[in-house]
Amino acid sequence: MANQPDSGTIERVGQSRASVLLAHAVLLLGLIFMMGPIVIIIASSTHLTATLQLQGLQWMPGDQLIQNYSRIFSFEAGFTDQVTPQRMLANSLIIASSVATLTTILSLLTAYAIVFFRMPGKQVVFWFVMVTLLFPLESRFVNTFGVAVSLGLINTYAGIILPALAAALGTFFFRQYFLTLPKELIEAATLDGAGPIRFLIDIIVPLSVSRAGAIFVIAFMIGWNQYLWPLMISTDDSLYTLVRGIRLIGQESGPGMALVVITMLPPFLLLLAFQRWFFNSLSAHS
Amino acid sequence: MSKVQLKNVTKTYPNGAEAVRGVDMEIQSGELIVFVGPSGCGKSTLLRMVAGLEKITGGEIHIDDRLINDVSPADRDVAMVFQNYALYPHMTVRGNMSYGLKNRGMPKSEIDQRVTDAAKMLRIADFLDRQPNQLSGGQRQRVAMGRAIVREPKVFLFDEPLSNLDAKLRVQMRIEIKRLQRRMNVTSIYVTHDQTEAMTLADRLAVVNDGKIEQMGAPIDLYNNPATLFVASFIGSPQINLMPVTFDGQHIISGDIKLGGFQNLPESTELMLGIRPDELHLDDNGQFPMRVDIVEQHGSDNLIYGGIVGGMNNGDEENEFCFKTDQNMLPELDSSLTLGFNAERAMVFNKETGERLR
Repeated sequence: MANQPDSGTIERVGQSRASVLLAHAVLLLGLIFMMGPIVIIIASSTHLTATLQLQGLQWMPGDQLIQNYSRIFSFEAGFTDQVTPQRMLANSLIIASSVATLTTILSLLTAYAIVFFRMPGKQVVFWFVMVTLLFPLESRFVNTFGVAVSLGLINTYAGIILPALAAALGTFFFRQYFLTLPKELIEAATLDGAGPIRFLIDIIVPLSVSRAGAIFVIAFMIGWNQYLWPLMISTDDSLYTLVRGIRLIGQESGPGMALVVITMLPPFLLLLAFQRWFFNSLSAHS
Repeated sequence: MSKVQLKNVTKTYPNGAEAVRGVDMEIQSGELIVFVGPSGCGKSTLLRMVAGLEKITGGEIHIDDRLINDVSPADRDVAMVFQNYALYPHMTVRGNMSYGLKNRGMPKSEIDQRVTDAAKMLRIADFLDRQPNQLSGGQRQRVAMGRAIVREPKVFLFDEPLSNLDAKLRVQMRIEIKRLQRRMNVTSIYVTHDQTEAMTLADRLAVVNDGKIEQMGAPIDLYNNPATLFVASFIGSPQINLMPVTFDGQHIISGDIKLGGFQNLPESTELMLGIRPDELHLDDNGQFPMRVDIVEQHGSDNLIYGGIVGGMNNGDEENEFCFKTDQNMLPELDSSLTLGFNAERAMVFNKETGERLR
């Protein structure tokens, strides 16, 4: 971290110039592949819809920046004009931050229980959670939909949020971290008069903050980018999210591209804000 | 000032494994008791049962006159120092030391007072605002002790507290622990697998083997008068020299070696002769011809290792003996020495049961 040399400046003994060049070439290629679409979207968002439809997506900026972006803020759609960009932004934020918060808390608690307490069948519970990795939400739509209907969750935020919470990734992530903590920590706390809840609040949560930040960011993006499930569970226009709204304004239009840019912005800003935590906790040194 | 009493304490795990099999012990107020034994012998389990970190499956543990079998660890009034220190990584030294007191609702002024006093005593007063990862191993060890001291518990429990330190620091801390314990006069139980640590620290030593107390007593008594083969071989460094022998009514016999001076031993039983390395001496008329393998120079003493020519052990190989002598004695490798011993000081054990026969 602070006292470690920047990884780019580490001299690796025995590495030839050619292999360094090759590595850089690969990284550069990766950068182009990842940044390319984003550049196209941003550039295209400044063109006339007609240009996009006649000449395809653009690499270079055009002159319609202000027109396109002001257009989406005055846009209204839906049966009763309930679908406004403000409304969609609010929906997306509510859903994504709820998914992120609840996923983080749920995974932390699950991992805490699995790692620190003796209970019968805890390995089974853990692997059961892990198996959900093999069954993403899309693969269990029909059943989940049935459950959601029977619970009366159609057209509610809860209906959109709850099924996305079963995220084994977070549980696994916290578990791996907790396993690196000495088990004597909880014993020392026990002797210091701290029960399981005190230990969680005083010791585990403070130690897990940076990891929780990373999980929060990942879960936020999952919540933010949800498309198919909100489409199924909500028919009410007032529950439209930004990701769904792009369709309404037209994917291959200047304002549509502008809305895509707006849609990408919040997760990006979040990542920027959490970046230090995010990378610290993903690297082994934190 | 508290005494600790263990009455027929047992620990059986759900899978049937017996970690502790019927331990009886009475620890006096202010005494420092060391549990020593090989890894997996049950010494740590026993300590953790006193702490309340392991459930007691049979018997009773009392602190003073209070039965603590079902008392929660926090309410037993014991404090423990762990091998890996188990400091809270995100708290400062002060935070680590005061956490237990805070949880007990002690007023802040008294917490501060106790932390300051303990820090002074342990010479960590300058580090109170640092976090554990900014401290050296020895300093962390002191903080761990500080966390125990501020509690002013009835009993201190030490679980191999020095095992993670380097050899030099270990000796220093050992002396310091002894000094602190004397000064505070708190009943203490100390677990270690290191017999030097055990010998030097203990008021009384309990040698644990296979979940049982093999022998308990003052360290020097255990050294001079081990009750069993296990205790004899565990206590003492370098280890006691052992040689499988039989008794023919007059002599102890191993291969070509015949030793006189023994009476009243069972015949036709496999026996084990034990002689401490410092009970051997150079003697041209001695009974043990030794071929020198290795000479270890430890400074003031030399340890000479070599096979005893003619003596046989089970594998029909020569018995390796260790002979402790002074630094001037430096035999050539593969040269021959003749060693004598004092039959009065030699020990004989039943090889099968380990029981001491003389």
